[in-house]
Amino acid sequence: MDTVVGFLMAGVGNVDLRRKTNYLIVDSKTTVKQIEDTFKEFTTREDIAVVLISQYVANMIRFLVDSYNKPVPAILEIPSKDHPYDPAHDSVLSRVKYLFSAESVASGRR
Amino acid sequence: MEVVDHETPSLENGKTDKEVEENANVLQFMDSMDAYLTLIHSLSSTLRRGWLELASARHSMGASRVNTVLLDHTSHPAATSLLVTQDEGKVDSGKPHFTLCKWASSSNENSLFGEKQSSQDKLHPQLRHRGSTELYEEKTSSENKASREVDDPVQKERSKSLSMFGTLVSPKLRAAQLSFEH
Repeated sequence: MDTVVGFLMAGVGNVDLRRKTNYLIVDSKTTVKQIEDTFKEFTTREDIAVVLISQYVANMIRFLVDSYNKPVPAILEIPSKDHPYDPAHDSVLSRVKYLFSAESVASGRR
Repeated sequence: MEVVDHETPSLENGKTDKEVEENANVLQFMDSMDAYLTLIHSLSSTLRRGWLELASARHSMGASRVNTVLLDHTSHPAATSLLVTQDEGKVDSGKPHFTLCKWASSSNENSLFGEKQSSQDKLHPQLRHRGSTELYEEKTSSENKASREVDDPVQKERSKSLSMFGTLVSPKLRAAQLSFEH
Protein backbone atom coordinates (compact mmCIF):
# COMPACT_ATOMS: atom_id res chain seq x y z
CA MET A 1 0.00 0.00 0.00
CA ASP A 2 2.79 2.41 0.88
CA THR A 3 4.47 1.67 -2.40
CA VAL A 4 1.33 2.64 -4.30
CA VAL A 5 0.87 5.80 -2.24
CA GLY A 6 4.47 6.76 -2.88
CA PHE A 7 4.25 6.29 -6.62
CA LEU A 8 0.95 8.14 -6.76
CA MET A 9 2.65 11.07 -5.04
CA ALA A 10 5.30 10.92 -7.75
CA GLY A 11 2.54 11.51 -10.26
CA VAL A 12 1.93 8.21 -12.01
CA GLY A 13 -1.67 7.71 -10.92
CA ASN A 14 -4.30 7.80 -13.61
CA VAL A 15 -8.06 7.62 -13.19
CA ASP A 16 -10.08 7.55 -16.36
CA LEU A 17 -13.63 8.67 -17.03
CA ARG A 18 -14.98 5.30 -16.01
CA ARG A 19 -13.19 5.65 -12.65
CA LYS A 20 -10.80 2.86 -13.57
CA THR A 21 -7.38 3.30 -12.05
CA ASN A 22 -4.03 2.27 -13.43
CA TYR A 23 -3.00 0.82 -10.08
CA LEU A 24 -4.17 -1.89 -7.73
CA ILE A 25 -3.63 -1.84 -3.99
CA VAL A 26 -3.22 -5.36 -2.68
CA ASP A 27 -4.22 -5.95 0.94
CA SER A 28 -5.40 -8.87 3.00
CA LYS A 29 -8.86 -8.72 1.39
CA THR A 30 -7.58 -8.86 -2.19
CA THR A 31 -8.05 -12.26 -3.79
CA VAL A 32 -5.55 -13.96 -6.08
CA LYS A 33 -8.19 -13.95 -8.81
CA GLN A 34 -8.48 -10.16 -8.58
CA ILE A 35 -4.71 -9.82 -8.86
CA GLU A 36 -4.64 -12.17 -11.85
CA ASP A 37 -7.44 -10.30 -13.60
CA THR A 38 -5.82 -6.93 -12.96
CA PHE A 39 -2.46 -8.22 -14.23
CA LYS A 40 -4.08 -9.53 -17.42
CA GLU A 41 -5.93 -6.25 -17.87
CA PHE A 42 -2.83 -4.08 -17.41
CA THR A 43 -0.77 -6.21 -19.76
CA THR A 44 -3.36 -5.94 -22.49
CA ARG A 45 -4.05 -2.23 -22.13
CA GLU A 46 -2.41 -0.16 -24.87
CA ASP A 47 -1.74 2.89 -22.71
CA ILE A 48 0.47 1.07 -20.20
CA ALA A 49 4.19 0.69 -20.99
CA VAL A 50 5.64 -0.53 -17.70
CA VAL A 51 3.97 -2.57 -14.98
CA LEU A 52 5.56 -2.28 -11.54
CA ILE A 53 4.68 -5.19 -9.30
CA SER A 54 5.86 -5.93 -5.77
CA GLN A 55 7.79 -9.14 -5.59
CA TYR A 56 5.46 -10.36 -2.85
CA VAL A 57 2.43 -9.88 -5.12
CA ALA A 58 4.30 -11.34 -8.11
CA ASN A 59 4.92 -14.51 -6.11
CA MET A 60 1.15 -14.92 -5.73
CA ILE A 61 0.75 -14.98 -9.51
CA ARG A 62 4.21 -16.36 -10.33
CA PHE A 63 2.91 -18.60 -13.11
CA LEU A 64 1.31 -15.69 -14.96
CA VAL A 65 4.31 -13.40 -14.53
CA ASP A 66 6.79 -16.04 -15.68
CA SER A 67 4.74 -16.98 -18.71
CA TYR A 68 4.54 -13.36 -19.86
CA ASN A 69 6.82 -12.82 -22.85
CA LYS A 70 6.09 -9.49 -24.50
CA PRO A 71 8.56 -6.58 -24.30
CA VAL A 72 5.83 -3.97 -23.91
CA PRO A 73 4.42 -3.49 -21.36
CA ALA A 74 7.59 -4.41 -19.50
CA ILE A 75 7.13 -6.11 -16.15
CA LEU A 76 9.41 -4.91 -13.40
CA GLU A 77 9.43 -6.64 -10.04
CA ILE A 78 10.20 -4.25 -7.24
CA PRO A 79 10.98 -5.12 -3.65
CA SER A 80 8.06 -5.17 -1.25
CA LYS A 81 8.23 -3.09 1.90
CA ASP A 82 7.92 -6.02 4.24
CA HIS A 83 9.74 -8.56 2.11
CA PRO A 84 13.27 -7.74 0.93
CA TYR A 85 14.20 -8.30 -2.70
CA ASP A 86 14.89 -11.95 -3.44
CA PRO A 87 16.87 -12.45 -6.68
CA ALA A 88 15.97 -16.14 -6.70
CA HIS A 89 12.34 -15.28 -7.45
CA ASP A 90 12.85 -12.45 -9.90
CA SER A 91 11.38 -13.52 -13.24
CA VAL A 92 14.13 -11.88 -15.31
CA LEU A 93 16.93 -13.44 -13.30
CA SER A 94 15.27 -16.85 -13.21
CA ARG A 95 15.11 -16.79 -17.02
CA VAL A 96 18.82 -15.93 -17.13
CA LYS A 97 19.55 -18.80 -14.74
CA TYR A 98 17.55 -21.11 -16.96
CA LEU A 99 19.47 -19.92 -20.03
CA PHE A 100 22.82 -20.47 -18.38
CA SER A 101 21.90 -23.87 -17.03
CA ALA A 102 20.70 -24.91 -20.52
CA GLU A 103 23.98 -23.66 -21.98
CA SER A 104 26.15 -25.48 -19.49
CA VAL A 105 24.20 -28.70 -20.05
CA ALA A 106 24.67 -28.28 -23.80
CA SER A 107 28.40 -27.58 -23.53
CA GLY A 108 28.79 -30.53 -21.14
CA ARG A 109 27.25 -32.82 -23.71
CA ARG A 110 29.76 -31.81 -26.40
CA MET B 1 29.99 -20.46 -17.23
CA GLU B 2 32.00 -21.98 -20.02
CA VAL B 3 31.45 -20.27 -23.34
CA VAL B 4 34.54 -21.33 -25.26
CA ASP B 5 34.26 -24.54 -27.21
CA HIS B 6 37.29 -26.63 -26.36
CA GLU B 7 37.22 -28.49 -29.65
CA THR B 8 38.08 -25.43 -31.75
CA PRO B 9 41.41 -23.64 -31.30
CA SER B 10 41.25 -20.83 -28.80
CA LEU B 11 43.48 -18.43 -30.75
CA GLU B 12 41.87 -15.41 -32.46
CA ASN B 13 42.63 -16.60 -35.98
CA GLY B 14 40.96 -19.94 -35.18
CA LYS B 15 37.61 -18.32 -34.35
CA THR B 16 34.95 -17.97 -36.96
CA ASP B 17 33.02 -14.76 -37.44
CA LYS B 18 30.00 -16.45 -35.96
CA GLU B 19 31.86 -17.30 -32.76
CA VAL B 20 33.19 -13.77 -32.46
CA GLU B 21 29.67 -12.43 -32.84
CA GLU B 22 28.35 -14.90 -30.28
CA ASN B 23 31.03 -13.89 -27.81
CA ALA B 24 30.18 -10.24 -28.35
CA ASN B 25 26.51 -11.00 -27.72
CA VAL B 26 27.33 -12.89 -24.56
CA LEU B 27 29.46 -10.00 -23.32
CA GLN B 28 26.70 -7.53 -24.05
CA PHE B 29 24.25 -9.81 -22.26
CA MET B 30 26.49 -9.97 -19.19
CA ASP B 31 26.91 -6.19 -19.20
CA SER B 32 23.15 -5.77 -19.36
CA MET B 33 22.70 -8.16 -16.46
CA ASP B 34 25.27 -6.29 -14.42
CA ALA B 35 23.53 -2.99 -15.14
CA TYR B 36 20.16 -4.57 -14.27
CA LEU B 37 21.44 -5.81 -10.91
CA THR B 38 23.05 -2.46 -10.11
CA LEU B 39 19.82 -0.66 -10.93
CA ILE B 40 17.78 -3.09 -8.85
CA HIS B 41 20.02 -2.43 -5.86
CA SER B 42 19.78 1.32 -6.23
CA LEU B 43 16.01 0.99 -6.66
CA SER B 44 15.83 -1.04 -3.44
CA SER B 45 17.73 1.58 -1.46
CA THR B 46 15.73 4.47 -2.94
CA LEU B 47 12.46 2.68 -2.18
CA ARG B 48 13.60 2.00 1.37
CA ARG B 49 14.37 5.68 1.82
CA GLY B 50 10.97 6.59 0.40
CA TRP B 51 9.15 4.20 2.73
CA LEU B 52 11.03 5.52 5.72
CA GLU B 53 10.18 9.10 4.81
CA LEU B 54 6.55 8.18 4.22
CA ALA B 55 6.43 6.47 7.61
CA SER B 56 7.99 9.56 9.25
CA ALA B 57 5.41 11.76 7.55
CA ARG B 58 2.63 9.44 8.68
CA HIS B 59 4.02 9.56 12.21
CA SER B 60 4.10 13.36 12.27
CA MET B 61 0.89 13.99 10.34
CA GLY B 62 -1.15 11.13 11.73
CA ALA B 63 -2.20 7.89 10.10
CA SER B 64 -5.58 9.26 9.06
CA ARG B 65 -3.97 12.00 6.95
CA VAL B 66 -1.63 9.74 5.04
CA ASN B 67 -3.89 7.00 3.83
CA THR B 68 -5.14 5.35 0.69
CA VAL B 69 -8.67 6.46 1.63
CA LEU B 70 -7.69 9.98 0.61
CA LEU B 71 -6.60 8.99 -2.87
CA ASP B 72 -8.21 11.05 -5.56
CA HIS B 73 -10.77 8.96 -7.42
CA THR B 74 -11.97 11.75 -9.65
CA SER B 75 -11.03 11.43 -13.26
CA HIS B 76 -7.52 12.75 -13.80
CA PRO B 77 -4.67 11.89 -16.16
CA ALA B 78 -1.28 10.76 -14.91
CA ALA B 79 1.15 13.64 -14.55
CA THR B 80 4.16 11.47 -15.29
CA SER B 81 4.09 9.27 -18.34
CA LEU B 82 6.30 7.11 -20.48
CA LEU B 83 6.52 7.46 -24.24
CA VAL B 84 7.35 4.29 -26.15
CA THR B 85 8.65 4.54 -29.69
CA GLN B 86 9.81 1.79 -31.97
CA ASP B 87 13.11 2.06 -33.80
CA GLU B 88 12.45 2.40 -37.48
CA GLY B 89 14.88 2.03 -40.31
CA LYS B 90 17.28 -0.01 -38.20
CA VAL B 91 18.17 -3.66 -38.74
CA ASP B 92 17.02 -4.74 -35.31
CA SER B 93 13.65 -3.09 -35.14
CA GLY B 94 12.51 -5.08 -32.14
CA LYS B 95 13.87 -2.67 -29.53
CA PRO B 96 11.41 -0.14 -28.16
CA HIS B 97 12.68 3.20 -26.86
CA PHE B 98 11.32 4.60 -23.62
CA THR B 99 11.17 8.31 -22.89
CA LEU B 100 10.12 9.46 -19.45
CA CYS B 101 8.02 12.61 -19.34
CA LYS B 102 7.81 13.77 -15.74
CA TRP B 103 5.11 16.10 -14.53
CA ALA B 104 3.85 16.84 -18.01
CA SER B 105 0.25 17.92 -17.57
CA SER B 106 -2.08 17.54 -20.52
CA SER B 107 -2.89 21.26 -20.52
CA ASN B 108 0.73 22.24 -20.92
CA GLU B 109 2.12 21.03 -24.22
CA ASN B 110 5.57 22.51 -23.72
CA SER B 111 6.14 20.86 -20.41
CA LEU B 112 8.25 17.81 -21.17
CA PHE B 113 10.40 18.07 -18.08
CA GLY B 114 13.22 15.72 -17.25
CA GLU B 115 13.10 13.89 -20.54
CA LYS B 116 15.64 11.14 -20.92
CA GLN B 117 15.87 8.53 -23.61
CA SER B 118 16.74 5.00 -22.73
CA SER B 119 16.95 2.14 -25.13
CA GLN B 120 15.26 -1.04 -24.06
CA ASP B 121 16.58 -4.52 -24.60
CA LYS B 122 13.81 -7.07 -25.11
CA LEU B 123 14.99 -9.51 -22.49
CA HIS B 124 16.46 -7.14 -19.94
CA PRO B 125 14.28 -4.17 -19.17
CA GLN B 126 16.18 -1.26 -17.68
CA LEU B 127 14.75 1.12 -15.15
CA ARG B 128 13.73 4.47 -16.52
CA HIS B 129 16.53 6.95 -15.99
CA ARG B 130 15.57 10.11 -14.25
CA GLY B 131 16.58 13.31 -15.94
CA SER B 132 15.22 15.79 -13.41
CA THR B 133 18.42 16.34 -11.44
CA GLU B 134 20.31 17.10 -14.64
CA LEU B 135 17.67 19.66 -15.49
CA TYR B 136 17.69 21.31 -12.10
CA GLU B 137 21.43 21.40 -11.66
CA GLU B 138 22.17 23.46 -14.77
CA LYS B 139 24.26 26.38 -13.63
CA THR B 140 25.00 28.34 -16.80
CA SER B 141 23.63 31.88 -16.75
CA SER B 142 21.50 31.52 -19.86
CA GLU B 143 19.93 28.33 -18.59
CA ASN B 144 19.39 29.44 -15.01
CA LYS B 145 16.39 31.49 -15.97
CA ALA B 146 14.97 28.67 -18.06
CA SER B 147 15.35 26.20 -15.22
CA ARG B 148 13.62 28.59 -12.82
CA GLU B 149 10.72 28.85 -15.23
CA VAL B 150 10.63 25.08 -15.51
CA ASP B 151 10.68 24.67 -11.74
CA ASP B 152 7.41 26.52 -11.07
CA PRO B 153 5.04 24.38 -13.15
CA VAL B 154 6.72 21.24 -11.86
CA GLN B 155 6.37 22.44 -8.28
CA LYS B 156 2.73 23.18 -8.98
CA GLU B 157 2.16 19.67 -10.28
CA ARG B 158 3.96 18.21 -7.28
CA SER B 159 1.86 20.27 -4.88
CA LYS B 160 -1.26 19.22 -6.72
CA SER B 161 -0.26 15.64 -6.22
CA LEU B 162 0.36 16.19 -2.52
CA SER B 163 -2.79 18.23 -2.04
CA MET B 164 -4.83 15.11 -1.43
CA PHE B 165 -3.09 14.89 1.91
CA GLY B 166 -4.20 18.35 2.99
CA THR B 167 -2.87 21.88 2.60
CA LEU B 168 -0.01 21.69 5.10
CA VAL B 169 2.10 18.63 4.49
CA SER B 170 5.12 17.46 6.39
CA PRO B 171 8.51 18.07 4.74
CA LYS B 172 9.04 14.35 5.15
CA LEU B 173 6.16 13.75 2.77
CA ARG B 174 7.77 16.00 0.18
CA ALA B 175 11.03 14.14 0.63
CA ALA B 176 9.17 10.86 0.20
CA GLN B 177 7.64 12.22 -3.00
CA LEU B 178 11.08 13.03 -4.38
CA SER B 179 12.39 9.59 -3.46
CA PHE B 180 9.56 7.86 -5.26
CA GLU B 181 10.04 10.14 -8.25
CA HIS B 182 13.63 9.03 -8.45
